Amino acid sequence: MAGKSGATPTTYSPSPTTQNKKRPPIFNDVDWVRPDGRGFHQCRPAFLRTGAVNSASGSAYAEFGNTKVIVSVFGPRESKKAMMYSDIGRLNCNVSYTTFATPVRGQGSDHKEFSSILHKALEGGIILDSFPKTTVDVFALVLESGGGDLPVVISCASLALADAGIMMYDLIASVSVSCLGKNLVIDPISEEESYQDGSLMITCMPSRNEVTQLTVTGEWSTPKIHEAMELCLDACSKLGKIMRSCLKEAASPVQE
Amino acid sequence: MEIDRADGRTPNQLRPLACSRGILNRAHGSANWSQGETKVLAAVYGPKAGTKKNENPEKACIEVIWKPKTGQIGKPEKEYEMILKRTLQSICLLSVNPNTTTSVIVQEPGYIPPPQALSCNTFFAGCQLSSYALLQVVNDDGALLPCAINAACAALVDAGIPLKNLAVAICCCLTDSGCVILDPNKLEEQKMKAFVYLVFPNSILSVLPEGSSQVGGEPVEYGIITSVTHGVMSVDDYLHCLQRGRAASAKLSDFLRRNLQSHSPGDLSKAG
Amino acid sequence: MSSATMTSDLSSEMEVDAFRRLFPLRFHERHLQESIRPDARPLGKARDTSVALGAVASADGSALAKIGCTTMLAAIKMEVMTPTTESADEGCIAIDFHMPPICSPIVRPGRPAEAAPVISKHSGMINLKELSLVSGKAAWMAYLDIYCLDADGALFDAALLSAVAAFSHLQIPVVSLNDDGRVVVVSNEEGEKLEKEPVNKERRKLKLSSIPFSLTCVLHKNYILADPTAEEESVMETLLTVVLDSSFQLVSLYKPGGPVLAHTSVIQDSVALTRQRLKELQKILNEAVSDMEVD
Repeated sequence: MAGKSGATPTTYSPSPTTQNKKRPPIFNDVDWVRPDGRGFHQCRPAFLRTGAVNSASGSAYAEFGNTKVIVSVFGPRESKKAMMYSDIGRLNCNVSYTTFATPVRGQGSDHKEFSSILHKALEGGIILDSFPKTTVDVFALVLESGGGDLPVVISCASLALADAGIMMYDLIASVSVSCLGKNLVIDPISEEESYQDGSLMITCMPSRNEVTQLTVTGEWSTPKIHEAMELCLDACSKLGKIMRSCLKEAASPVQE
Repeated sequence: MEIDRADGRTPNQLRPLACSRGILNRAHGSANWSQGETKVLAAVYGPKAGTKKNENPEKACIEVIWKPKTGQIGKPEKEYEMILKRTLQSICLLSVNPNTTTSVIVQEPGYIPPPQALSCNTFFAGCQLSSYALLQVVNDDGALLPCAINAACAALVDAGIPLKNLAVAICCCLTDSGCVILDPNKLEEQKMKAFVYLVFPNSILSVLPEGSSQVGGEPVEYGIITSVTHGVMSVDDYLHCLQRGRAASAKLSDFLRRNLQSHSPGDLSKAG
Repeated sequence: MSSATMTSDLSSEMEVDAFRRLFPLRFHERHLQESIRPDARPLGKARDTSVALGAVASADGSALAKIGCTTMLAAIKMEVMTPTTESADEGCIAIDFHMPPICSPIVRPGRPAEAAPVISKHSGMINLKELSLVSGKAAWMAYLDIYCLDADGALFDAALLSAVAAFSHLQIPVVSLNDDGRVVVVSNEEGEKLEKEPVNKERRKLKLSSIPFSLTCVLHKNYILADPTAEEESVMETLLTVVLDSSFQLVSLYKPGGPVLAHTSVIQDSVALTRQRLKELQKILNEAVSDMEVD
């Protein structure tokens, strides 16, 4: 009899990911080329589509290189737990990974940290007064993780919120930058993230020129941070345009 | 087409049946059902005020809790729980006690019957809000799910839950040579190419106008409430199993009816 | 004033959508009388179905199956394990079915858990001996994970289809034993590393014998509705799932309760519907596989 998963034997992945990887190249070298051949300040091609999940109030699918994310929005609906009365609506966020999202098979569990970052990133952009006493649920599933997962999840979530007709001040776009030695690379892939010295992520509302969230980790110098922020804000406004056109496309009547 | 069975039964012969009801004091209804060495204990709590999760203003809710002999409940038990729940839902009159929950608890018990009655009681004490079907499998010697369904059905009657009809469950096994044997024990179950669990409604004894008890040229009790199969077989083999299962279900149905009748006067005291 | 006449009066005046929400059963029965369904399908017809192989690059085999709006993503990851002594030259398959919260407003956990046992039961489809690497020392463990991305009825059918498609896409990687006795993937660039004979010489596909296909039907009164949507499943509760393999053997006939009884004629009819559906699905799967090979 096959498929008896009762007492699962211990297994390991034969891919040599954990073993001696090639030493990171010298990033000080100006001739260094990114693994996918992009320029340092060039983002991955973005593919966005709304209405990916039929049974949700609103949903969106985003594909940036190998990073593939689906976000569903449910509500505004009755708050689940017996909660106190609230004049403003509640936002509930959850980010989870599939077991096959990463090269080594994971547990497919919820990502608590990302869930709370997503919540904080979106909260500032949503007009919570417009759905008092109710909850909007934002659920994200990372189908495949190819680096820069969190910015993709956040941008995709704001698109899904717009698709669900939740009132927002503006679309929320998010982009991250990695610091590799002397170089700043925008929209890093997993490989670059694994040997970065520092990372900076900006979540902003491009048309209002307002930042809802800024996270900086690792080693940064002040001028570098300035440079990275400029880079991110510029990319965010471009991403915002792409998101806007995606929504327009979905809203315009289908031409036969 | 003769086939030797280890315990000397004929292919169509069921193992000795036994059913005792009202064995637990604190449960609203309980039954101990055994087919040969397979023994299952079922207890019913309810109908009680529905918990928030199961609230439904139009229907009663049935909840099934499967208690394995030891340890945590696994995937197969979860599946059994669900099949049992769906099966019981279809025989209960759910519109009679809307917005209530009835719990059925099934215990897979060990070889020694008395102590588990105690453990059941302590278990039940924790879930007083709703009516549970607690099924405890005392001993598994093949045909576990059918046995549990029969036990749960007897326990529901014992608890006085309004039912449309009784359900009788049977296991049919298909040997490699294509013979069908009924009610296999564990050893036979493991050797078989395929087996089928079938649940039928019992025959209705009330006076009905001719034809109303027929559906598509078949009596009502020939319809299947639940069917679960394991292993690969041809469609004809399945239909053959169906036919043999139906014939045997009449015997089971008679046994259940007789058993319920013999106890009914004593039950009145428990009815509240 | 009886409620029956009242509702029928209302039905002529009320907007269709309102009627659909207030009297879902009557709404569907009205359609059934005309032998048509709300989405304009005849009763015995399944929704449009598509299969895309290789949807997940990080897995060894993957497939996306869509039946109407129901979407399932299945991916297989191969890992190495030490086989048990009693089956020293056999690999293993572990199947998990997930319903993440994104797929449905009411995630009912546990309900479609039935998918896993049935698929794993029929691993007769896969010869586990093919998953062996070094007898008694190492064998493949195939982790199959199925994610429901959009739940709109007939979940089992879509899950089975995606699982079967993922297995037909699966390519077992080339591996060799390293000095520590661990199995490692041989990458093509590092040719010099090949001083050790690879255990698994070339990327190969599994041989699939007798592929199973399924069709779920909703039974209501005397009607049999093939491939129900989530709405139909919730209004008419009796479900019957038939699984046949490519040689028309019955793999599973699953009917978990429900108010409608299945009589012999119903079983025969639904088996006949499944036979038709099997041919459709076979064609769809074969097309997906041959598309893959062209690329």
